[in-house]
Amino acid sequence: MKKRILAGVICLTILLSGCGNSTKIIEGDVTMKESDDRTETGEAAGTQQAPGTEKSNVSEPSEGMAGGTAEDEAVSYKGYAFIHDGAVIEMDGEAAAAIEQLGDPDSYFEAPSCAFEGIDRIYTYGSFELDTYPRDGKDYVSCVIFKDDTIATPEGIGIGDSVARMEEAYGTGWTDRDGMAVYEKDGMKLCFILDGEEIVSIEYRSRVLDN
Amino acid sequence: MNWKSVIRAVCSVIFVIVTLFLLQKLLVPKYASDVVEGNLIAEYYGEEKDHDVIFIGDCEVYENFSPKVLWEEYGINSYIRGSAQQLIWQSYYLLEDTLRYEKPEVVIFNVLALKFDTPQKEAYNRMSLEGMEWSLSKVKAILASMTEEEHFLDYVFPILRYHSRWSELGEEDVSYMFHREPVSHNGYYMRVDVKPAENVPEGRILSNYQFGENALTYLDKMTALCRENGIRLVLVKAPSLYPWWYEEWEEQVEAYAEEHELLYLNFLELTEETGLDFSQDTYDGGLHLNLSGAEKITRYLGGVLREECALADRRGEADLSRAWAEKISAYEQEIARQQENAKRQEMAEEEETTE
Repeated sequence: MKKRILAGVICLTILLSGCGNSTKIIEGDVTMKESDDRTETGEAAGTQQAPGTEKSNVSEPSEGMAGGTAEDEAVSYKGYAFIHDGAVIEMDGEAAAAIEQLGDPDSYFEAPSCAFEGIDRIYTYGSFELDTYPRDGKDYVSCVIFKDDTIATPEGIGIGDSVARMEEAYGTGWTDRDGMAVYEKDGMKLCFILDGEEIVSIEYRSRVLDN
Repeated sequence: MNWKSVIRAVCSVIFVIVTLFLLQKLLVPKYASDVVEGNLIAEYYGEEKDHDVIFIGDCEVYENFSPKVLWEEYGINSYIRGSAQQLIWQSYYLLEDTLRYEKPEVVIFNVLALKFDTPQKEAYNRMSLEGMEWSLSKVKAILASMTEEEHFLDYVFPILRYHSRWSELGEEDVSYMFHREPVSHNGYYMRVDVKPAENVPEGRILSNYQFGENALTYLDKMTALCRENGIRLVLVKAPSLYPWWYEEWEEQVEAYAEEHELLYLNFLELTEETGLDFSQDTYDGGLHLNLSGAEKITRYLGGVLREECALADRRGEADLSRAWAEKISAYEQEIARQQENAKRQEMAEEEETTE
C-alpha cells in the first residue's frame, strides 16, 4: 500500500512540476511560448546595400549614433528597424526609449484589450504610427505604420515607390500574403501593401501580431 | 486474484480519479476577481431557458447591450451569450448549443467577428469554450477554434493545460472550486465609469478587405440554422469606435443582409437616433459603452425589435416578472456598488494630489 501511495505522490509531483521551457503560458492578451520562438526565415533580404533615396523627407539618423549612417545602423540591428529623427525603433524592443526620443506624439490612443489587463497604445507622429503591446509591466513595440509618403525606410523605400524599387532594396525573397509583400527577418516582418506595382502602405510588424 | 485484490484495485482507481478531479477543479482559472469575462459562457446554463432574444458575439454584445432594458421597457426576455473575441464559428456552435435548451424568436449576431477567418488566440478560445457544457457542438467548436499549438485533449482534461498553475494558486482558487458568483446580468457585463473617446485612430490600410471564406461559411450556416428553426436572425454592428469598422466591410454586410433578407442595424450610423454621446457613454475611450451608452442603444434596439419582429410584451407573466424583479435588484445593487467604488477612488486620488 505504501508503495502505491509513494508512486501516486511521485506521479502527482511530475504532473504538477510544470512543463519546462516549452510550456505555453496563457497570460494577458498574448499567448506565446516562454522560450524564444523566433525563427530565422533566411529568405528575406534587408542585408543588401540600400540604394540612395530620392525622397527629401527621409528620416535622418542622429549624429551621435554609433555605426555611421542610418542605413548601416538599421542593418546592424536585429530584424528590421525603423529610424526616425535619431530614434531607432525595433519591433519587440522596449518602447519607452524610442517614445522618449520621438517626443510628444500628435495624438495618443489607448486600447485596453478585451477582458485581459494591459493596454495596447497607439502613438501617432504625423507621418507614422507606433503601436505598443504590454508584457510584464513594460511596453514593447508591436508595429510601425507609415501614414504618408514623406518618410521612408532606412533602405529608402516609401509609399508610392514601385515594387521594382522595393526589390532593389530588399531583394526578391518576399512572400505574397493577400496582396501584401512580406519580408521576414529575426521574427519580425516588413510588409508592403501593394496596389498593382505601387506600394500603398508600409508596416513594420512584430510576430506578436500573428498570435 | 481474489476479491480483496479486485476491491483494492477498484478503490485505487477511484482514488486516483477523484484526486485528479479535485486537482483539476483547484487548478483551472476561476475568473473571479479579474478577467471575469471567463465566466460569461458558463453562467447561461444556470438560467431559466425561455428567452425571446439571444445575442451571440464578442465583447461588442456583452458590453454594449443591456437585457434589463429590453425587459423593463419592452417586456422582452433576452440573454447575451457573448465572450471576449468570440469568433464566428464559436458563435455558431454556441447558437447550436443554445438550441439544445430553447428556441428563441430572434437571434442577434454582432458582425465584427467576420473580420477573423482563422483561429486567433488560445487565451480567448479558452474563455469562449471552457464554459460550454459538453456536447457535440462543444467538440466541433473546439476543433474549429484550436490554434496550431493547442491540443483537443487539453480541453477534455484542463489539468493537462493548467497543471503549472500550482505555484500561483490563491485563496480564490479554493473558494471558487465548486461554485462561482454571477459576474453578469443576463450576459451583460456592466461598467458605469466614463472615459471619453478621444483621438480614436482611423483604420490602417489593409491588403484585403474581403471577409474570409471560412467566416462567410459560418455566417451562411448561422443563417440556415436560424431559418430551419424559424428564428429571425438580426445582424448588428455595435457602435464601438475601435477596432475600426471599414466601409468595405459595411458594404459586404449590407449586401449579405439584403441578399438573405436579414435585418441589419449598424449602430455606428445611428448615433443621432440612439442619442449616443461618446464623451459620456463609453468607459474606455470608445471601445465599449458604459451603462449609460448600453442602455441608450438597447432602448433603440427594443423599439426596432418590437416593430420589426413583433415580439410580445411578457411583463404580464407572473413567474417571469418575479425572476426579473430579482435580476433588476441585483442590477441596481451593482450600479450602486460601482458608483460607490468610483467615489472612493476619486476621493483617494484627490487626497493623494493634496498631499
